[in-house]
Order: sequence, then structure tokens, then C-alpha cells
Amino acid sequence: MKTHSITFLPDNITIKAAAGKSVLDAAVAAGLAVNSVCGGDGVCGKCRVLVKSGKVTAKPNMFLDRREIQRGMALACQTFIDGDVTIEVPFESRVGGVPQLATEDAIRYGSISDWVGEGALFPHNPLFQKIYLELPKPTIGDCICDQERLYREIRRNLDIPIMQTGLAILQRLPDILRQSDWKVTALLGWRGGTVEVVDVEAGDTSAANLGVALDLGTTTVVAHLVDLTTSKTLATKAKYNSQITFGDDVISRIMYGATPERRTQLRDVVVNDINDLLAGLVVDAKVKLNDVCMVACAGNTTMIHLLCALNPANIRKDPYIPAACCPPVIRAAEVGIKINSRGLLATLPSVASYVGGDVVADVLVSGMMRSPELSLLIDLGTNGELVLGNSDWLVCCSASAGPSFEGGGITCGMRATNGAIEHVQLGKNGDIVQCNVVGGGKPLGLCGSGLIDAVGELLKAGCIDRRGRFDPAACGGRLREGDSGGQEFLLFPGAVTALGRDLVLTEADINNLIHSKGSIYMAMECLLDHVGMSFDDLQHVYIAGGFGNYLKIDQGIRIGLLPDLDPARFKYIGNGSVQGAKMALLSQEALKNVQDQIAGAMTYLELSTNHKYMNEYSSCLFLPHTNIEKFPSLMPAAQKQNDAAAPR
Amino acid sequence: MSILDDAKEKWTGTINEVTIGATKQDGGTRTSVVTVGGAGALPFMNFEGPTPRAPVVAMEIWDREPDDWAQPLVDAFGPVLKSPADWARKCVEEFGAEMLCLKLAGTHPDFGDATPAQAAEVVKAVLKAVGVPLIVWGCDHDEKDNEVLPRCSQAAAGERCLLGAVKEDNYKTLVASCLADGHTILGLSPIDINIAKQINILVSEMGLPLNRIVMYPTTGALGYGIEYAHSIQERGRLAALSGDKIMSLPVLCMVGSEAWRTKEAKASQQENPAWGDEKTRGIYWEIGTASTLLQAGSDILVMRHPAAVSAIRKTISELMVK
Repeated sequence: MKTHSITFLPDNITIKAAAGKSVLDAAVAAGLAVNSVCGGDGVCGKCRVLVKSGKVTAKPNMFLDRREIQRGMALACQTFIDGDVTIEVPFESRVGGVPQLATEDAIRYGSISDWVGEGALFPHNPLFQKIYLELPKPTIGDCICDQERLYREIRRNLDIPIMQTGLAILQRLPDILRQSDWKVTALLGWRGGTVEVVDVEAGDTSAANLGVALDLGTTTVVAHLVDLTTSKTLATKAKYNSQITFGDDVISRIMYGATPERRTQLRDVVVNDINDLLAGLVVDAKVKLNDVCMVACAGNTTMIHLLCALNPANIRKDPYIPAACCPPVIRAAEVGIKINSRGLLATLPSVASYVGGDVVADVLVSGMMRSPELSLLIDLGTNGELVLGNSDWLVCCSASAGPSFEGGGITCGMRATNGAIEHVQLGKNGDIVQCNVVGGGKPLGLCGSGLIDAVGELLKAGCIDRRGRFDPAACGGRLREGDSGGQEFLLFPGAVTALGRDLVLTEADINNLIHSKGSIYMAMECLLDHVGMSFDDLQHVYIAGGFGNYLKIDQGIRIGLLPDLDPARFKYIGNGSVQGAKMALLSQEALKNVQDQIAGAMTYLELSTNHKYMNEYSSCLFLPHTNIEKFPSLMPAAQKQNDAAAPR
Repeated sequence: MSILDDAKEKWTGTINEVTIGATKQDGGTRTSVVTVGGAGALPFMNFEGPTPRAPVVAMEIWDREPDDWAQPLVDAFGPVLKSPADWARKCVEEFGAEMLCLKLAGTHPDFGDATPAQAAEVVKAVLKAVGVPLIVWGCDHDEKDNEVLPRCSQAAAGERCLLGAVKEDNYKTLVASCLADGHTILGLSPIDINIAKQINILVSEMGLPLNRIVMYPTTGALGYGIEYAHSIQERGRLAALSGDKIMSLPVLCMVGSEAWRTKEAKASQQENPAWGDEKTRGIYWEIGTASTLLQAGSDILVMRHPAAVSAIRKTISELMVK
């Protein structure tokens, strides 16, 4: 087969690629993370690259205009190598930067000691323990075998009815015991109903007992390194999930993972991310990777499938059946995670195909399953997950919100990383009054919270009507004809932005957000309706998810994403996923609670067949809602009086 | 013996009254006006609440000679189809129409592309020819309607016509015209009760009061989704009667155009011998559609065939007897 060399700029990486291979595939082979929402189907237009020199064949597409094509702009997935080429992957097409989260969460949402430890909800009883033992030497009167001797001594310290040990350990055991003068440290890993003697080390190594709590998100991977003895978090790190190159959402990744080879590829890519994070964590904390023996991972059902290279195909096919909701505790090395070679990997259980261990972790952190008061938990992301309930019952559902909360499908949208506008305040005519940019520099784009702010502010200023259409009279000089025909609102001119590109908001962008927020609000109504309750019955509303942290409650209410309740009832729980994983890591009781009281007790409401959802969804496609009575605080004063007079 | 509870519904809402047409006294030149709405109960359920105003039939006329109308329709009108003013006169004088619906079909870019000025002339000619109130309907091409209808609105300023139709994503231009020229407006929604309400909100938030808006929730003909159209219309009416003020507006139905689009109305007897006489089949189809939608709470029925119009007016007058 003919091969060509392809050079990527500005990285200056050159690789050999077969003729006819797509530039996107070549970029993946070169180890570059190129943005691709659709996974290479040519329908998202996000993988823009510049062909600097050389011969390529490009399929026609509707994302690039004539000027851009003349400049050499092309879609990486629709452009095929036809000779030696040089390609520039611009900043905006890269999956890059460090997600904004990590350390802040721990400070903002309380420390782990609120949940695990003495006097807290769950006792300190980590999934992985190291105990130092001084075994009595065998005599003719005490002549049990080495294995029994070890077990007996362990049981003197801990109440463990069932234990298991691998053959490899038994093969080494006699020598270790005798060489260490019967002073050893037993490494005990919790494996569901049994405890495994994972390893036996000479001398006392019990001081260094480390674990990692992992939030395996569709978009971001977050890892916290935890000292299992002291419960302290030693270091935190986050990074974008490199699987993004194979699709932005779980569905496109499931579709990509159609063959065993591709599933291995998907697994390797994310395991690489995890290993990168782990390597960084141990450097930051100045500890040894070998002392990390346990990983507890919370992720949505699909992500856990992909981590374990399980076939996820049936997740997206009616009746939506996962391969496993609670995969067993396995050796971390089995999937390629590089910690202690005999270390273990535990995952938090899922409830259904679209309600995963991440949501279960959120519930654990919220504590809603322990209070008699009615609570609603919202995890906002590409898939919005909702859980309603109290100490007696839990019911959950998943609403497909689309990617707009993550900045996807928005002309100038981006993830919440450096350069993203996270908050914006507008005045008359939509003039910018104030603007917060992640990292402080010039704005590069709008992330979810910035988008919600912008739309809320435009509505407040009268620049858009309640259907999200611009009112030219109220927009000052900021409204103009966009390249694609529709009108666009100029937020920031190119002169003040990071890449010199105008930052605009189009009616299509606003419409995407309206659909996203509508699906979340409608899902909340359906859940409440399902149990015969209403928003007024809610005592607590917990907002989880990386994006949720930055959402302003009043703006969420103004656009109709959140119910019109007293702001005091809302509470952020931060990254519940990683906190929940950490709780499980530190307390077997917490993990058992997750399995029995949360995942095991949660009822799943399928919305795709819900009549109320279908019938009333369009009433949510309005700002804030077609029935303004549902948002009394936003009702025009005149109408309030009117309504008070009318019998209901 | 126990006494059964009274099963009558008690409604809290009333449909707004909307008047179409302005006489000299009100700044127009109409010799008669039409007021619809006012219902305080489901239609003709006099024991539950009043239906004070009878539903009105408006006869549909076009600005150009229709080239795809079924033969029985063409025969019913004859040569007047060539002249909107003559057509209007015949409807009023011969068939006793109380209101006319002038459809500016000839302004559509693909079907004549008449200019806004030409359309305005037609509107003026029709207003001059007859004294009944007028519905002025565009060609259902957003951009063209936005050019044509403001001109027609101006040409008919003060006549309190019913202009339409505005949609959720195209309403500002026409609402502005309506406000300026003193007309009422028709809001179109695609068989969706929520979108119907959204249009009412959007239009009223521009300053047009709710007593100057009529809803068009989209009509389906008999055999072509009528049950769906009926149930959406009825749900809207139930919401209104239960106190939803924003839904408390009269409803218009496009009966004629929908009924006469069906193959059952149009097909010749040769094609389908078992379907009976084509001269009356379409008329019955129109009557069937209209009488069904009357029960869902229609206030204005736009119809085509004079025989169907006359039959439905008879039905209405019988239903209105207390």
C-alpha cells in the first residue's frame, strides 16, 4: 500500500500514513487530540484544520464557506491524504487545556471528614488496607501451614470470614515469611463479599497506603490521590477524556466501539489518560506509584463499559440493556491501569443504561437517601440525570439535553477551560457590563454557564423575545447578518478576543440552549408527576456536575432551566462523582450503601415512552416557560394581579 | 333515596370577544361587522354556560383565478373567479356571506409572484366591492408575506381586518402593521397547543391586546387528521374555559381548503365509481369537516362551496336554538 508522510503543525510531528486515510485518523495516530463531536461522520464541523501544503482530496461539506476553503481550511474527517502533506491543527480544533475544576471542589463543598470517619455518616474502613503482622513462628505444637498462619493472624486483627489468595502469593509466601523473620505487612483488598490477600510485603510497609478516586466522565477525567489511612487528599488532577476524538457523546462512542479492536482502542485511550493523571499525582504528592493499590471509579454506564472494554452496543438499542451494571472488582492491570501491579479496580454500580455510577455517587454525596425530606438531584451535562426521593424511595431518569451545556453545538461554544466566558452581565442594548473569563485572559468562547448567563441577560434586556428571537430594536448596533444567513448578536468583536475571531451568539445557538433546558425542566416535571408531587414539595435541590458548579441559580431560573423556588433550597454538591468514589474508597460501608440503598433501591423512569414528556415538551421551549404561572417570580406585575383575581 | 350530584361542569373562563370589521362610526367603511367569541362553556352546551355568539362562516376568495380547484367549485362560481371583486360580490350578494377570506395566493413567488402593490390593489378592490369584514391571508411564504401584508394592511387601514397568519418565528413585521393600522391578527400554530399559547404571548407582548388575536391551530380534513385537529382545538378550549386567559381566544378553521384538497373531494367518478357523484361528494366532505370542528369550538370557519356554506349555516342556526 502506498504511504505518504504527514506533518502536523505547530507540533511538528510527522508520521507515515496510508494513502486515502483521513486526516483525522492520521492525527489520532500521531497522538493529537482533535475535536470531533460526531466521531468522524462529517456532521459536526468541529475538526477544522488548515492544509498548508501537499495534496489532499476533500469531500464537500456545508460547514466551510468559499473564503475558508480558499484559505486551505478543511474538515479533518472529510479530507483524505493524497500525497505528502503538512497540516496545521489550530488551537480551536484541539481538545486541550486543563478542565476547570479539581482542587477547588474540595474547598467549596466540604471536606471528606464530613462524610467518612469518626462521628461522620460512614465509618473509616477503606477498600484497601495494609496491616503489619508479627506472626508467631511455627513450632511442633503450632504447625499449621504458612497460609493458615497468615490468615489466623489477620483474623486476630480484623473480622474477615472469607479470604482468598492468589497462587502467585502462595508461591512466594514461605520465603517472604522466613526472610522477614515473620514480620510482614499484609495487603488486603476488598473484593465484594470476600477479602483478597493481594500481596505480602516484608517488614512494616503499612504507613504508605494510597488509593485513587476517579471520576470517569464522558468529557473529563478527574483523579484524586487519597491517603487511605488518614483520609487526606494528597493531590488532584483533571484532564479531558481523549476519547472525545471518537465522538463527543456516549452514543457516538458506542457507535465507534462496534468491533473488539475499536473497543480495545477506546479503552487504551482512556486508560492512557488515567495513567497520565496517576503519574502526575504521584509526582505532585512525592509518593511511590507502587504504594497506590486501589482505584475506585465512578462513571456513567457507557464509560465503565469502555473502561472494561465491555461491548456497549446494547446500551443504545431498545430495550437499552447494559452488559453489566456492577462489574466485579478486578485487577487494575487487567485494563492497563498502572498502579501496584496487584492493585485493584472497583467501580461504582450503575442503575440503568443511562443512569450510571456517577449519578449514584452524586446521590451518596448529597445524602438525600438519608433524609425524610423530599430532594431532587440534578446532574447537568450532555445527558442530564435526575434523581428524586428521600430516605424511603428514589426514582431517577435521564434526559438527553444535547451538548449545549458543554459548549457543543454553539457557534462560539467551548468547554469550561482557559478562555471560556463563564459569566457575563449585559446592560441596555446588550452592552457588556461585566465578564469573567476562566484563567483571566481574553475571551475565546462561551462555556455552558456563560451561555446561560448570556441568554438570561439578553432576555432581561429585552434583546430577545421569549421564543429566543432577536428584537432588532432593542439590540443597539450589535445585531448583524451572519455568514450562514440568520441574524447574530455580536458579544465581543475580534479585537478583544483571544484568537481575533468575533464572538457571536446566533438564534440557532439560543434555540439549542432552549431545547437543552427544556428537556431538563420537562424531565423534572415528569419525575414529580410520576410520584404525584410538585415543585413546591421539594425541600432541597442538589446541583451536581462540573458545569453545575458555575451555574448561577437566578439565571437558571430566568431561562426556565431550574424551577422557580427559593434560592436557599438549592445546593451545589460539586463533582459528586469523584467525591462519591472517594467515599467508597475510604469506607466499605459507603460502597455497600451505594450498592444496596442507592443503586439497588432506585427505580428508573424511562422518558422516551413517557406521554407527558412528549405532550408538554414544547411548552418548555420558551423563556422561561409557556405557562408563566410556573415562574411566579418572573411574572410581569400586571399579570400577577390578574391571576390573583382569577379563580384557578 | 340519594340525589345524584349535579354533573354539569362549572367553567371559570370565558373566550374573549373579537370584532372584525369597522363601520364608518369606528373609522372604517364596512356596512356590517362580525363579533366572535364570548363562549362560557363548550359549544352549544347551553345548560353549562352560554354560547352567546354563533360561529361565523367566511367564504374563501383568491386574488387570482385558482387553477387547481375541483370542478364542482369552479362550476359554483363561474366566470367571477377571474375577478376578486366580482367573486366577493357574488359571495355576499348571491350566497349571503357575512365575511370573506381573501387569500393572496397569487403573491407566492412560485404562483404568480404578484407585487405588494398589486396585492394592495386587490384588497382595496374587494373592500370597495363589498361591505362585509375581510380576512386577508398571505401566501404562506414568510419573506413574501412580510413584504406584501404590510402594504395590504396599510391599504386597508382602519377597516379592522383579520390579517394572517403569523407564526412563532415570523410575527414581528405583521404585528407591527396590525398595531399601526388597527387590524386584528391570526396566529398560526402547527397542531400544538403549547406553540399556540406561545404565539399569543409573543404577539401580546408586542402590545397587541388579547381581544385582537384569533388562533389558527391548523386544520385537518375529515379522514386527514381531523381527530387530531379536533382534540388539539378542544384541549385549547378546555384550558381557556378553565381559566387560562392566554388561551381564551376565538379559533379559526380552514375547512374549505383542507376538505377540497382530499382525493375524496377531488377524484372524478370515473376514477372511483364506487365513491358516488363527484358533484356532491366534495360538498359533503366539506360539510362533514366543518360540522365536526364546530363541536370542538370553532368560531370562524373559512369555507369554499356555497352549498356547503349554506348547509353549515343552517346547522349552526339549529344548534344555536336554546
